[in-house]
Amino acid sequence: MIQRLLNNREFILFSVLCLLFAGFSITTEYFLNLDSLLSYSRYWVAPGMLAVPMTFIIATAGIDLSVGSIVAMCGIILGVLYRDYQWPIAAACAAAILSGTAAGAVNGGVSSWFRIPPLVVTLATMTLFRGVAFGLSKADAISNFPPGFKLLGNGDLFSFTLNGSPVFVPIALGALLLTMIIGGIILRNTWMGRYTLALGENPVAALYGAIPVRGLTLGIYTACGCVCGLASLFYTAVYGTARADAAMGLELEAIAAVVIGGTRISGGQASVVGTLLGLLIIGILKYGLDLSGVRSQYVVIIVGVLLIVTAVFNEWMARRAGESK
Amino acid sequence: MSQTLLQLTSIDKCFGGVVALREARLHVRAGEVLGLVGENGAGKSTLINIATGLFPPDSGIILLEGETVSFSNTRQAADAGVMVVHQEADLFAQLSIAENMLLGRGLERGPGGLINWRKTNATAEGLVADLGEQFNVTQDAGSLTVARRTMAEIAAAVSTAPKVLFLDEPTASLTVKEIENLFSQIERLKAAGVGIVYVSHRLDEILTLCDRVTIMRDGATIETRKKADLTMDTIVSTMVGREMATTNAKRTVPIGDVRVDIDGITAKDGSFSDISFQVRAGEIVGLYGFVGAGRSEFAQALFGIQKPAKGRVCIDGVPLKMQSPRKAVAQGLAYLPEDRLVQAVFREHALRSNASVTLLPKLSTATVIGSRKEHALADKIITEMNVKAASMEQPIGTLSGGNQQKVIFGRWAATEPKVLILDEPTRGVDVGAKAEIHKLICDLAETGTAIILISSELPEVMAMSDRVVTLSEGQVTGEFDPQSDDEATIAAAAVPRSTEKAAAAISPLKRGIARALQMRELGLIVFIALLGGYMSITTPDTFANTGNFLDILKNAAIPAIMAQGAMLIICAGGIDISVGSMMGLVGAFAALAVKAGMPAPVCLALAMAMGISFSLANGGLSLVARIHPIIVTLAGLSIYRGVMRIVMDGKEIMFLPDGYRALADGAWLGIPKVCYYVVFVTALTHVLVRYTLLGRQVLALGNSESAARLIGLSKTKLTLFVFGCSGALVGLCAVLNAAYYGKVQANTGVGIELQAIAACVIGGTNILGGRGSALGTLLGALLVALLYNSLVLLEASSYWQNIFVGGLILAAVVVDALVQRLRGAGA
Repeated sequence: MIQRLLNNREFILFSVLCLLFAGFSITTEYFLNLDSLLSYSRYWVAPGMLAVPMTFIIATAGIDLSVGSIVAMCGIILGVLYRDYQWPIAAACAAAILSGTAAGAVNGGVSSWFRIPPLVVTLATMTLFRGVAFGLSKADAISNFPPGFKLLGNGDLFSFTLNGSPVFVPIALGALLLTMIIGGIILRNTWMGRYTLALGENPVAALYGAIPVRGLTLGIYTACGCVCGLASLFYTAVYGTARADAAMGLELEAIAAVVIGGTRISGGQASVVGTLLGLLIIGILKYGLDLSGVRSQYVVIIVGVLLIVTAVFNEWMARRAGESK
Repeated sequence: MSQTLLQLTSIDKCFGGVVALREARLHVRAGEVLGLVGENGAGKSTLINIATGLFPPDSGIILLEGETVSFSNTRQAADAGVMVVHQEADLFAQLSIAENMLLGRGLERGPGGLINWRKTNATAEGLVADLGEQFNVTQDAGSLTVARRTMAEIAAAVSTAPKVLFLDEPTASLTVKEIENLFSQIERLKAAGVGIVYVSHRLDEILTLCDRVTIMRDGATIETRKKADLTMDTIVSTMVGREMATTNAKRTVPIGDVRVDIDGITAKDGSFSDISFQVRAGEIVGLYGFVGAGRSEFAQALFGIQKPAKGRVCIDGVPLKMQSPRKAVAQGLAYLPEDRLVQAVFREHALRSNASVTLLPKLSTATVIGSRKEHALADKIITEMNVKAASMEQPIGTLSGGNQQKVIFGRWAATEPKVLILDEPTRGVDVGAKAEIHKLICDLAETGTAIILISSELPEVMAMSDRVVTLSEGQVTGEFDPQSDDEATIAAAAVPRSTEKAAAAISPLKRGIARALQMRELGLIVFIALLGGYMSITTPDTFANTGNFLDILKNAAIPAIMAQGAMLIICAGGIDISVGSMMGLVGAFAALAVKAGMPAPVCLALAMAMGISFSLANGGLSLVARIHPIIVTLAGLSIYRGVMRIVMDGKEIMFLPDGYRALADGAWLGIPKVCYYVVFVTALTHVLVRYTLLGRQVLALGNSESAARLIGLSKTKLTLFVFGCSGALVGLCAVLNAAYYGKVQANTGVGIELQAIAACVIGGTNILGGRGSALGTLLGALLVALLYNSLVLLEASSYWQNIFVGGLILAAVVVDALVQRLRGAGA
């Protein structure tokens, strides 16, 4: 029984999360304030959204390093269209999502058509899309978005009272949860999700099993770009500005959430629930450290170390499981 | 006279419960050619692999010249004089054929241990000439025809003066003339006292060449006889002569109209040509032939995996679109592939998902898989196919081979195909499961499915088929009725003969384009000159002056040095995207050290040592954990930058002492000092990659890990070496950069990894490893710097620079991919 629990990824992650929570509650004042925690959760929305398609991508044994750059590029496109071309904000948002989708299609198209590893393609497009962001904005920050748009960032979905104090649930958090749920359903319950896992487990057998490998790859990266476009709206709204150097290192957080969540980098096994737990672990860690007065530089280091440690741990677990058979 | 060289007795070998060898034996004498024949799966390859040290036997004795030996790898066996030339050699495609021949056995070296390429090539040429061949040994091995590769392999093996030489299907791709040359070489070796084991399906060759013939069947050695006592008929009957299992008798099923009509289908690569036959509803047509007959290639063409060059296939009168497996399945074709583990099974996934994969969209409503429907399907397959499993959630990898195969069979039967191609459906399956699969095939035929049964087991083909079509060397050689024709007749029709094989036509245009694109250094120089010329004309005042030229050189310097390190790592098949952050961190430490009063040279040494340790940590972690270096270095990118910010505490490190700055700032003989470093480092890496054994081994590793292992190279050692080199260069650059600019800032080194990688790939380094050039990389770095400079002068916003770096990387890898494709089509 204990053995089985120890082999259950979600259980381990959940325990870690509880430990973190308990630890911070004891050591850090003000940690146990649900309202401020939920309010802080706005900052997880962009990396969290990206982690959903990233789960699919890593499930196919691929990777997308360009997601942060796509978010920045879409934010700039949104800002430039709104400010310089006086587009209505809704149209500018749509354009941002479309540009993200197109950027994802470039990643998926080049890598599936020319059979170049996505690592290489997205490493190049990471610079390319960042360059577009810098070029379009001339490194100028764009702000003064209309209040309606800012609601995406600071608006609340609903509020309730807990122990006499009000707790507000941000709209952005709702959007993140919705993305997670949709992603989770697609991965678990649809043939697209099943195909994704099959492709990662054995690409040759996927081809011989009549799975449309090229189309699937293209679709996954395109969907990832689309989610990046969507995330850019929330990112821009949360921070109130669109900047070309925004979302730097977002790919690391997204990839870390996925890997900590138990998705293997060699593909074939993935879980969106795991990714959610991974995201929560990173998020709680950042929030707790932030409250404890630890500087953000340390947090970046911790996320990086966590990524390496869990990647090593995942491979070790998988190998052990393989040997015990 | 005929002294015993190598003797294998009572060799047993099992692979995961499947018996491959039972009490097999082999007896090789000096100065003779021993033929080794048997059907596919008879155990010949396993026996060779054991004799040459690829894996040990479960039990049995190996004697070499009377002494017991046990080789733990192929290298040991080769050193002891037991060599093998495999049918399709695993080689280093991007290295020259001469290097492939000699790398494992020692390249010719001159003074200082540097490789003497002229001598190496001459030696290789000489070896090839000994075989009566003549071709350019400096070409990439990947661009050579299979025949020439084989000849080169044989030449290289012969050069080591082996005692025992195994030749595994050496003539499969050779032309008549090449075969003649090979045979005379074999005669010469025989005269020199070498024991040669000659494996071939071509019995006419066996009968001309061999002194004795050993016949294997079902993992056992049946008999060894002198050539004089054998005829082609006796060999064939011994090879296939096993008692037929009575359980697999075929049921008679009414045969209907023509379901599939195959008309003149021909492969692009020449593996089969002009295959035509028909299969009717309920009919089972056996397709019998040996390995290399083009059976699987033919099936794959129908299934849409390899598009054929020409030909037409109709299913129920409707032309089959041979474009993708998906389209094939939609038109009612199903294909059970030959290699279950590689081509069919999703090992770690549940039996249920393995069973349902071909029908998922049909089981779904609005893309959501109907869980109940899926369970019902899996249940049905388990019951109907009689799969023995604890639960349908069990990973399929934990089932026995036979049960796995039944699930895969069920997966295809469930699509209710009009035509089903079965490729070796009972390979690696135990007797009981085999009979069950045979029954299932009959059941399916009863429902009106037309079945093409590919098998290299003649009794199976005889027992199961209504009609047998024999395939040899990619061509239909006959049609037989298993009721009236006997096994020997059918086998004889399938035995390959030495015929002139038409080499696949290569379009000279394509080859020309590929070659032109390969002359990367020249192309880069031309491109740089053109861009420079254009700039001189459009902005003569600002561009064409010494000051600006020196600026370009200065700007190119640091990325150019970093790029040499990146090039080494990429050549070995890795990547490191953390070098920019690493450079910033090391630079900060070194600057703090020098400000604390440490002498500049000590700081430089310290910086290099730090760089080496960080880089070794990157490489070491990815090796130990067996994870791709991208994950480790992606995390490293953040970690190093984070540590750097903590170290610098939000401040710039400025006012570095003059002694430190003198390391890089200023000029010497009118040329910026940094340029000397570039020349020095480039020269060093050039010599390393081009002229040292270590450098060539790094390239070999990047070309093929498995082939590198075969010649005894250590992946760990080579990987750590390239990471160490890169780390040393990062340390150097960290100091040079700080000394040159006189300060270290929080963003020092940001993005430099991409400039470095861009310089590599533009300079012709294959991003997937195995090919790289120090000079090309230098030119790549120059081109990037020149482009930046031009953009600034043309008053294009400097913000667009990133687009050029990203775009250039993308363009370079796409061009490389296209070149590979053109060459692939040509070779």
